[in-house]
Amino acid sequence: MILRISWVLCFSILTGCASYSTGRGILAPVESRDSNTTVEPQQSNNANRVETIQSAPIQRREIPPPQLPPASDPVIVTPAPSVPASASATLLAGVDSAIAEGDLERAAALCERALRINPRDALLWYRLADVRAQQGRPGEAEGFARRALSYSADDAELTGKINTLLSDL
Amino acid sequence: MEKSKPETPQDGQQAPRKRRWWPLAKRLSLVLGTVVVLWCLWIDFEIRRDFEALQWALPARLYARPVELYVGAPISQAELGDYLDNLGYRESAQVEGPGEYERSPSRIRLWTRGFDFWDGTEPSLYLNVEFDARKVRALWGDQNTGDLTLVRLEPAEIAQINPTTGEDRVPVRISDVPQELIDAVIAVEDQRFFSHFGVDPIGIGRALVANLRAGSIVQGGSTLTQQLIKNLYLSRQQTLRRKIEEALMALALELHFSKDEILDAYINEVFLGQQGNRAIHGFALASEYYFSRPLSELSLSELATLAGLPRGASYYNPRRYPERATQRRDIVLARMLSQNYITAQQLEAATREPLKVAASAPSRGKAYPAFMELVRNDLARDYDRESLQTEGLRIFTTLDLRVQDLIDSNLEAAVKSVERAAASGTQGQLEAAVVISDAITGEVRGIAGGRQRGYAGFNRALNARRPIGSLVKPAIYLAALESGQYSLASVLADQPITIPLSGSQEWSPKNYDDKVYGDVYLFDALERSMNLATVDLGMQLGIDSVVRMLEKLGYDAEIPLYPSLLLGAIDMSPIEVTQLYQTLASNGFRSPLRAVEAVTTGQGARLERYGIETVQVSDPESMYLLEYALQGVFNRGTAKSVTGRMEDNLPLAGKTGTTNDLRDSWFAGYGDDLVGVVWLGYDDNRDTGLTGATGALRVWSELMSDLNIQPRLTLPPPKIVWQDVSAQAVRQANERDCRATLSLPFMPGRLPDSAISCEDNESFLQDIFDRVRGLGR
Repeated sequence: MILRISWVLCFSILTGCASYSTGRGILAPVESRDSNTTVEPQQSNNANRVETIQSAPIQRREIPPPQLPPASDPVIVTPAPSVPASASATLLAGVDSAIAEGDLERAAALCERALRINPRDALLWYRLADVRAQQGRPGEAEGFARRALSYSADDAELTGKINTLLSDL
Repeated sequence: MEKSKPETPQDGQQAPRKRRWWPLAKRLSLVLGTVVVLWCLWIDFEIRRDFEALQWALPARLYARPVELYVGAPISQAELGDYLDNLGYRESAQVEGPGEYERSPSRIRLWTRGFDFWDGTEPSLYLNVEFDARKVRALWGDQNTGDLTLVRLEPAEIAQINPTTGEDRVPVRISDVPQELIDAVIAVEDQRFFSHFGVDPIGIGRALVANLRAGSIVQGGSTLTQQLIKNLYLSRQQTLRRKIEEALMALALELHFSKDEILDAYINEVFLGQQGNRAIHGFALASEYYFSRPLSELSLSELATLAGLPRGASYYNPRRYPERATQRRDIVLARMLSQNYITAQQLEAATREPLKVAASAPSRGKAYPAFMELVRNDLARDYDRESLQTEGLRIFTTLDLRVQDLIDSNLEAAVKSVERAAASGTQGQLEAAVVISDAITGEVRGIAGGRQRGYAGFNRALNARRPIGSLVKPAIYLAALESGQYSLASVLADQPITIPLSGSQEWSPKNYDDKVYGDVYLFDALERSMNLATVDLGMQLGIDSVVRMLEKLGYDAEIPLYPSLLLGAIDMSPIEVTQLYQTLASNGFRSPLRAVEAVTTGQGARLERYGIETVQVSDPESMYLLEYALQGVFNRGTAKSVTGRMEDNLPLAGKTGTTNDLRDSWFAGYGDDLVGVVWLGYDDNRDTGLTGATGALRVWSELMSDLNIQPRLTLPPPKIVWQDVSAQAVRQANERDCRATLSLPFMPGRLPDSAISCEDNESFLQDIFDRVRGLGR
């Protein structure tokens, strides 16, 4: 043991001596962090990016003619189902499987993702309310359920479900 | 030196002296030997302890909201291209692997990298996106995946919160490092790495010869293990003791840990560059830093460039000294060839490849200072500074780069265009603050704390609390409509009024234009922002009901109970104003503004999640009536001047705000998707020469039309009925004049007064008509 240690010691001293140098050449084997001077020129590539956004053609929106109001003033437009249901449907399928897996927070997050795509979809607000209710967060569930109601006027069945959920909270 | 044992005595004369010294020397060397052995044991202990618990302080990383692609997604071909460029995707003629994309006029084909989001993993996918002006028209993958419904791209990394050491790295496992990089590092730094035991006598000998021959240090004899030790213990001392210690530590390290473990640590630890006070450590981060792409996507030539850096990261910095870096790369490649890691063809191909370094990214942590302050405020509830700086947390924020970049690039010019030459004196310039949030969820999409891009000083959006002027009025009118006592056709008196205050003081408000309008309809008073009529209404309602309404809308600080509150004598920051208008934009559902969506560990385990919350604070009918008037602000009222500019975006809702002596110019407005608040003013409260309409509104409309804000699509709640009233607001039935009429929405419980109602003859028919319409809804 002593022999081994002294051998190791002897060797390390030798290596120490061999690689010992007083000054650091430019080609020092390892760079340490004394090089604060190496600051990259701060050029930003944002300018380009945004210019292109600007130059993107602005699409003229086609607003469906106002359906209801008798006068010309209040502009009330029926929300066109501008987004096909498939993205929402994909996410709602994810909500179901997240609930099945017991990951309710993920289920809630998927509802929220779907809402960013289809913010006026009463069903999505209802599902979110339902998830929060399952999580034992009735206060939040109520807010979402009421918001669902505000978009569900044309769907009696869904309105019924939302009201049931609200009364169960 | 424990090895210098005295020789046996050679001649008799010296023997007595030797004999006298001998026991002392023996004792001394014993003591010395013990000390050295203890030292070795200590080093051994130290290295085992430290290396086993090796854990780097990792900065928290912040991500912007990722782009989601689906049919109908509001993104143009150019915008997606920019987004991919920002993520470091490489444009190529043919997509062959992750991180590449290909553009044709109305299509982008790409191979995503995939990403571990806090709510699940997004796989790496090959996909085609077809565009239709500013929308995605179609989305499909390859034969296996077919049509795709929804793809979430990787989020852009927007900032990081660095450890105090300034060290930054992206930890990577050795198994995920391309073999070519490992080969290159070993070939050039330590070719006998797999056979030596921590120190390499042959290497040292070779280095010594080379150095002697050159007369200076041209080669190092340090092994990777020694370099690792040197990096880990952060010592810049070059003393002999330090060198011996390093060698001993290297031996101890090799004794206890495998070559793979040591290589793994080296790959992650080694210093490879410096950006400001951020030190770039490890090859994975260096790959992002120099090439904007992950290691797995780099070519042999690029990997060899990185492998050349440990020798001198600033000397061989590929951005500053591309020639040196190229020469160094070629040396690495030559060594790889001579050690049979690559073929001559590979060498030739790689040396022919020009050095293509990514344009320097804006220094992270500085790019979005105003938004970062908001994030820090939000995180401060749950995380202390230390854990943000060291635990490698991943923070998913709500920042929308499209919105933020547009604010950053357009705000300065927009402010300049409204700035009055006369008013822009010598001290300070007209300042600005902007907050843009999502109208549905309350997520903050973009923010500016000053007019200059990336301004990192005083964040006016969060911290400049200024009187809000007429921006307060919707709260008063909503309180009135909600009370059931008022309708849009209630008649208010726009008359001079003097209100006694405490003591002998009085308050005599005036209209902005010093005119007096007499009897006016409630909706008209809001649309045209009449001060006297508003004071009339507010005094009838009572200040306390206005205070309660402000609280319901989301203002949570103390509110002074003075009559001047009715004209906005209350200080708020732009973000507080945004909260109020957020609640209006979501039709009376208050959702707290948020900047952070979720926080995970570096490995992706969910720690915290901040979801949407929403509370109903007003009934849909009152909200609908209020919005009728706030849309009227654009159609007929104080924001009429921008309807030409915003033709494609109308209808929108909003309100101008101007304070005494034109010190503050405000506009708050919303469409279907976004809420935006703009404030203009001087830091020293000087006169801006601007009203809300001539200043902030114009800036707002510049930003919002470029963002293509979506028109309001607010449906009337089923209970709302429409009735005709006389165009002229009068109080007496005998003054009624139904030759000119207006049609306005009403709540069934608060129909127009008989003095103005022009419904009388057809009331029965009208009633039936309304019912039929109600059914059709």
